[in-house]
Amino acid sequence: MMLEITNIHKSFGNNEILKGVDLQIDKGDVVVILGPSGSGKTTLLRCINFLEKADQGHAIFGDIDVNLKTASKKQIHEIRQKVAFVFQNYNLFNNKTALENVTEGLIIGRKVAKDEAIEIGKKALDKVGLAEKYHAYPSELSGGQQQRVGIARAVALNPDIILFDEPTSALDPELVGEVLTVMKNIANEGTTMLVVTHEMSFAKDVANRVIFMDAGVVVEEGTPKDIFVNPKEERTKKFLKRVLPEDYIFYI
Amino acid sequence: MEKYFDVTYIVESLPMLLPFLKVTFLVAGLSVLFGTLLGFILAAMKIGNSKIAKKIAYGYTTILRCTPSIVLLFLTYYGIPAIAGNFGVNINDVDKIVFVVITFSLQFAAAMSEVIRTSYESIDKGQFEAAVSVGLSPSQAYRRIIFPQAFVVALPNFGNSLLELMKEGALAYTIGLIDIMGKAELIIGANYNTHALEIYLALAVIYWILSIAIEQLFLKLEKVFSKGKQVIKTT
Amino acid sequence: MSEGLNYQFLVDTFFVALSGVPIALIITIVSLLIALPLGFLLALTRINRIPVLNRFAQIYVSFVRGTPVIIQIFIIYSSVPLLLASIFEKYNINMNVYDVNPIWYAFIVFSLNTTAILIEVFRSALSTVSKGQLEAAYSVGLTNVQAFRRIIIPQTLVVALPNICTATVNLIKATSLGYAMSLQEITLRAKVAANVGYNYVEAYIDIFLVYLILCSLVEYLFKLYEKRLRRYKAVNV
Repeated sequence: MMLEITNIHKSFGNNEILKGVDLQIDKGDVVVILGPSGSGKTTLLRCINFLEKADQGHAIFGDIDVNLKTASKKQIHEIRQKVAFVFQNYNLFNNKTALENVTEGLIIGRKVAKDEAIEIGKKALDKVGLAEKYHAYPSELSGGQQQRVGIARAVALNPDIILFDEPTSALDPELVGEVLTVMKNIANEGTTMLVVTHEMSFAKDVANRVIFMDAGVVVEEGTPKDIFVNPKEERTKKFLKRVLPEDYIFYI
Repeated sequence: MEKYFDVTYIVESLPMLLPFLKVTFLVAGLSVLFGTLLGFILAAMKIGNSKIAKKIAYGYTTILRCTPSIVLLFLTYYGIPAIAGNFGVNINDVDKIVFVVITFSLQFAAAMSEVIRTSYESIDKGQFEAAVSVGLSPSQAYRRIIFPQAFVVALPNFGNSLLELMKEGALAYTIGLIDIMGKAELIIGANYNTHALEIYLALAVIYWILSIAIEQLFLKLEKVFSKGKQVIKTT
Repeated sequence: MSEGLNYQFLVDTFFVALSGVPIALIITIVSLLIALPLGFLLALTRINRIPVLNRFAQIYVSFVRGTPVIIQIFIIYSSVPLLLASIFEKYNINMNVYDVNPIWYAFIVFSLNTTAILIEVFRSALSTVSKGQLEAAYSVGLTNVQAFRRIIIPQTLVVALPNICTATVNLIKATSLGYAMSLQEITLRAKVAANVGYNYVEAYIDIFLVYLILCSLVEYLFKLYEKRLRRYKAVNV
């Protein structure tokens, strides 16, 4: 087991967003979390990377065993070295070029030598199809290109796992494809990924496990086939009926 | 009173006035230095979590915003020696420039605290999150990602505050500081109050050129530093 | 001075300072009444790049914003009387320049100054109201004047209001420089009272308090007005 989370709770004010979620991820897993908006998917991801502090919960990252509520600064820093994050609105560093965005974490966070970092960074950008854009600033890139830089930035760190928080939902429809293709490629290379998304085709084609969340709990989980073809829970069925076209089942 | 306007007075007064720009610059430079430091502290209080600190910092800004420079100048000029006197300290020999610098540092700090706060808040929270997500420590995230961006946002407002400071600084002559304005008053006095208009016009020209120069400088700086920052939020 | 504050004087002089408020307010209001429409019109010449006026407004704004108010005051106060005197002489008007109430000079200085500030305020506010608003107004058959009165100006005003508030507060503060024109406003009155017994600390505390109250009040009133004007915006949020 590479990542194991148990009983994670999180409230904002009186609003309980996560009500005791468990999650296990093995090396090489591509896990997709589905669920209606407000179900707590994004919050779960953010708690794993300590962008939000959980109210309760426990995590084991490889050899690090940590309480999500009381983790020390040092533990948080160590875990963040193992986990990379791809944001919904890209969050590229506006004052840095594409290449600098990718190398920043390597040089400053991981103390990789500058020349080496630049080489890694260029390779990562090549991989996402942006060999021409090393020195472009985020404001000079399209949304799709920005998100591909965001993915390159995560991949370059060579993390144990990459968390994707709705990576395509801020994009214009015609730009979604290029980002999904890149994600598919890195999944095929054996990268461990935890993805929150509304792209059913990605879940169906790429994931080896799908988790359905609603109202702060995991309702059901299984292979894509389990979830899309034979959902057991009523809530899952209702959700799928709403988000999938009438005749979608036939394409699986 | 002489009734005739004489341009030669403008030309002749310029070389007498210009050496005193040194004093004007000294006041502005020191006030910017101390004012920015205090402004940082106030901005930190406004951004931070302590409710009391917040109230104090905002209260300070409101009060200073409502106080005319000349009133603040005289309050420090008469008030500080009086307070010191109560503690048995005699500071009557302290140079006038000290009171001027205190006054304008206090005023500049109020303006800067707002400049710093708004530029800090203009930077999207996601920038910090992205920075720590790639393994930067919080202090590295601030130093390398947040501050450089906030600095560019702050530049134009900093320039404006500096211009205001220069102009308000002209009032220092009222407590007897001999800066460029004080020298102008001396020249007018020496002319038995004739041809005052010409001297004031000379002063106005000097200030005007100075303001335009500062304005242009900041436009240049903004261009130099604003790499990759045409748009802050594209989404 | 070391025997502490003279509280009796502090209280008495507070009312002396307070008695200067009407003059400060009259100057502020008159200046705004002149500067608001003039500033708006000149801002329009800037936005629409009307040849000569645009250039004139640009230089005018640059000068006023680039020089200290006190120097502007001195320039007006030492030039206008000269001008008036020569006019009186030329047309044989039997009037002494020194009898002119200094408040007239204050009106001139502060409306000229505020006009320049407001040109910039309105210029940036006007540029935020999109061209589409004007086009839409024409498309439903409004005339130019109607479009401005009913659509453009109300929207501009909402955007400009915080800056108009700042300009007003700065204007009130700037009236403290009226002493340079022997104007009997807040600062000068309290200062004169202090001259007798060297109670300067007390006098300036009083002056400080009066401006603080006055400016806070003005800011508060602007906030109230802004809330009312913003009603149509609340729907968008």
